[in-house]
Amino acid sequence: MRVSNIAHLYLVRLKSRAALIQEIFAVLGISVGVALLFASQIASTSLNGSVAQLATGVLGNSTYEIKSRSSTGFDQSLLGRVQRLSGVSSAVPVLEASADLIGPRGRAPVDLIATNPRFVKRSAGPLLRHFNASQLAHQRALAVPAPIAHDIGVGPLETTKIEVGGRLTHALVAAELSYGSIGPLVNAPVILAPLAYAQKLAGLPGRITRIFVHVRRGARARVHAELLRLAAGRLNVEPATFDARLFAQAASPINQSTITFAIICALVGLMFAYCSMLLSVELRRALVRELRRSGATRWETVKTLLFDALALGLVSSLLGLVLGDALSILVFGTNPGYLSFAFPVGSQRIVSWQAVAISVSVAMLAAVVGVLTPMREIWSRGDGRSGIERRVIPDPWMLLALTCGIAFLAGTTAILLFAPQSAVLGVALLLAALVTLLPALVDAVTAAFAWLQRRAGGARTDIAVAELRASGNRTRSLAIAATGAIAVFGCVAIQVAHANLEGGLGRLVRQLSQAADVWVLAPGQQNTLATTPLTTADRAKIAALPGVRAVGRYRAAFLEYGARRVWVLAPPADAPDPIPPSQLLGGGIAGATGRLRSGGWATLSQALASERHLHVGQRFTLPAAHPISLRLAGTTTNLGWPPGAVILDGSDFARAWGSGAPTAYDVMLASNASASTVVGEIRHALGHQTALTVETERQREQTQLAISHKGLGRLTQIAILVLVAGVLATVSSMGASIWQRRRRFARMKVHGLDTSTLWAALVWESALLLGAGCLAGAVFGIYAQILLSHALQAVTGFPVIISLGIPLALGSFALVTVVAAAMIGIPGYRAASVAPYPHP
Amino acid sequence: MLDVRGLVKHYQVGDGEPIRAVDGVSFSVAAGELVALYGPSGSGKTTLLMLIAGLMSPDKGSVLVGGNDLGLLSDAERARYRLRDLGLVDQSSDLLPGGTVVQNAALKLLMVERTRHAHQRVQPLLVRLGLGERLDHRAEHLSMGERQRVALARALSTEPSLVLADEPTGHLDSRRGAEVLALLAELCGETGTAVLLVTHDPRATAFASRVLELRDGQIVESATGLPQAYAARPGG
Repeated sequence: MRVSNIAHLYLVRLKSRAALIQEIFAVLGISVGVALLFASQIASTSLNGSVAQLATGVLGNSTYEIKSRSSTGFDQSLLGRVQRLSGVSSAVPVLEASADLIGPRGRAPVDLIATNPRFVKRSAGPLLRHFNASQLAHQRALAVPAPIAHDIGVGPLETTKIEVGGRLTHALVAAELSYGSIGPLVNAPVILAPLAYAQKLAGLPGRITRIFVHVRRGARARVHAELLRLAAGRLNVEPATFDARLFAQAASPINQSTITFAIICALVGLMFAYCSMLLSVELRRALVRELRRSGATRWETVKTLLFDALALGLVSSLLGLVLGDALSILVFGTNPGYLSFAFPVGSQRIVSWQAVAISVSVAMLAAVVGVLTPMREIWSRGDGRSGIERRVIPDPWMLLALTCGIAFLAGTTAILLFAPQSAVLGVALLLAALVTLLPALVDAVTAAFAWLQRRAGGARTDIAVAELRASGNRTRSLAIAATGAIAVFGCVAIQVAHANLEGGLGRLVRQLSQAADVWVLAPGQQNTLATTPLTTADRAKIAALPGVRAVGRYRAAFLEYGARRVWVLAPPADAPDPIPPSQLLGGGIAGATGRLRSGGWATLSQALASERHLHVGQRFTLPAAHPISLRLAGTTTNLGWPPGAVILDGSDFARAWGSGAPTAYDVMLASNASASTVVGEIRHALGHQTALTVETERQREQTQLAISHKGLGRLTQIAILVLVAGVLATVSSMGASIWQRRRRFARMKVHGLDTSTLWAALVWESALLLGAGCLAGAVFGIYAQILLSHALQAVTGFPVIISLGIPLALGSFALVTVVAAAMIGIPGYRAASVAPYPHP
Repeated sequence: MLDVRGLVKHYQVGDGEPIRAVDGVSFSVAAGELVALYGPSGSGKTTLLMLIAGLMSPDKGSVLVGGNDLGLLSDAERARYRLRDLGLVDQSSDLLPGGTVVQNAALKLLMVERTRHAHQRVQPLLVRLGLGERLDHRAEHLSMGERQRVALARALSTEPSLVLADEPTGHLDSRRGAEVLALLAELCGETGTAVLLVTHDPRATAFASRVLELRDGQIVESATGLPQAYAARPGG
């Protein structure tokens, strides 16, 4: 049989309305799976890709960079000494500072990048090279990417406000950077300025934070040694790709969570796709029997089926990619935000060829496995008339499925107990257990329902039980139950794990905010973790207010510690809980707090301590601007900051950073003072010109919770996506099943059965199938979320509150079951309204 | 019981001449009478049965069952007629494959009586049809002959006034076929049910009180016993 004949046969088959609709349902089911998989992959790759693009845009092909260890930078006179080194072909000075740009329509957190155009040569990236091509270099003005300018409502030659380092200044926008000039970097949250102007804006005259160094061939080792000598242990000398590496590490826990969730999405998507194909198995069984009776060889039959798979796989892939792309724009279109306090994370959507290839492969795999399911018919020698009898699953198969299911469950339990970091494998095993145990569960539910309805049921329930028990319907029934089960499984596993993580972060935020009654700090989203030093001396003014009992100096900064950009914080000396008790993982809280207050001690996140093989009491050096030797007082969670956190005493912090400047004032109120009144008094005392923001404990908690919630946005979006896809896949599979039922309904109506009886029977059958499947999905989903929550805790170091999440599980179960049942009600009634027709 | 009067049903296929599937057919079947209807393929037998079952409306003429004109009934009333007053048996037994013999046989009765006693009530009938040992077997595990007997039990379960049987012994061996037809005749005699039997089996006519021959949509012969044309066939 030639391919053209096979194609012709396929087209002829599609002329049958029943066959066409079956194929459409199969395509829809696979497409939902592919869309889910594709969208989640875009979400994952876009996060890393945006920072990597920016790093390349700034650094170009520079070899090394010298970096300041604090936001105040170092003297730019170092530039000349670097340029004079033999082997250095060029050196570019850069001042980088976190800033907020404020326009009439809102504010945008940005990274201010400034350089001196005189030094920018071909070695710099396209973003910095833009200085050469622009008149900006000679102006006291900013260049702003068009999307940011649009968001905040400013245009070229208009004035905007900029907050840098707690200073608020007016600035002129000289140019809007378009896609045409800087490519995809237009979506990066950066603004450009000439170096001298930026130094003035930031209050850092004569200071820079980085020097990009381009080294001549063959001189790398020598130049590196010379740069280390110039850095003198107070500056970092790193390869030019270091920032991208830092970000990759920082994003790693988020990525691991996203990837874990995305892989679960992929498994769920694959199962949806496969279940959709199972719905059309009966159609293909009939085709195989017909082909074999007509004299087609086995190979010709296989080729015919593979052509079906190719056609279905291609159409589904295309539709799934389009749907997935739309989902990634609609659902994943927001900036993840969470890491933007320390990294310029853009909102670019990066669609990799790998994401396309994986999605198409999954569609093809599901289509091939689905169409080849009736393979037994191809190798059978009979004419297929006794096929019904042969399709009854023999007991040994059921026994084997039960054994495999229990073994998979045991494997998952072993992973939960001994290797929670292998959560993906555990979830895959759990899914396999769910699918292998489901037939037995559906049989048990059917048997229980049959027993009940023998006593109280009627024709409707008799028909429902008979349909559920028919071995010819078994594949279809199990496919529907499995689709419902997997939908609820995915929703429960992801939503509850997500809720556990959010709960843990919420508790942490509350504990950190409660350290003061009122917070005074530099404004802006970039300063969410209070890392911007306060340059004005306002403490005395605040302390003198009548409602204020004490004003503590809170200090925090980001520090590059190995390959991590960690959060270092030093609560005031008299803070009641300098270490949030719920976050301590190693060491006693009383001992650790006492040691911290005595000075010379610090806590590290568990991951940081593990990387350095440190135990409580052991000594380590913190590589700050003035490296400091400390001892480990205890280990903590990552305090919600993915790369990790360090807590130390305020005096140790001041020594290490060479500055006593606080980054926030922790204001404690007098016993009879009201927070809102004191906030007003502080604002009044600071004056209208101040750039500082004053927040009550509650306001700060709300702001941080909102940002923490935004940080988990990707996971929330994936959870919602699984829910939507689950409902769609379930409705799609039920739709296919209902459509297949019309002919039998027409035959039954010949004997006088009415529409309402048939419709009610269909509703009973659907409810039983969905109920059994979704309930199993909910139970297994709870198990999966426990596994995922432990994995998030173990792998990412996030504070996670592990709960069973039964209300959420019940909610997902009810939602999928009720929505799917409601959505099949109308098509079900239409199918039951078919006119009586006596011919088979 | 059954009165068919001047029944006409024509189909228009394309632009050609209309097909006269049923062309002025009139006959009647009395209560307790078994009438055999035979005719070659395409003679209009199936269309006639569909008209009598109320599954199709005639172009002309009328079908009266128990004095009620089917043409005056609504769709719902026709469905009720098929449920309560008509037993329909054809070659495709239409059973629920996952349902047991009892469930399938009692399905119509359950709709009529709406009590679980229906399951008990059909069992004696099933025993008489030789299915006593198979009551709890699923329909999908039965032979074709057994399925046909279950379908017969379902048709008779509501004690209908009329049974339309289209080749009910098509899948049975001659001995079992004869047994089933004898039982059908006996049961109908007991309950006064009128039976219209469509068959190609000359032996089936032995159970009929009258035989009608349908050709090109018209009754061409009406006789008691086997018609001449049929008897003259080799092996007839």
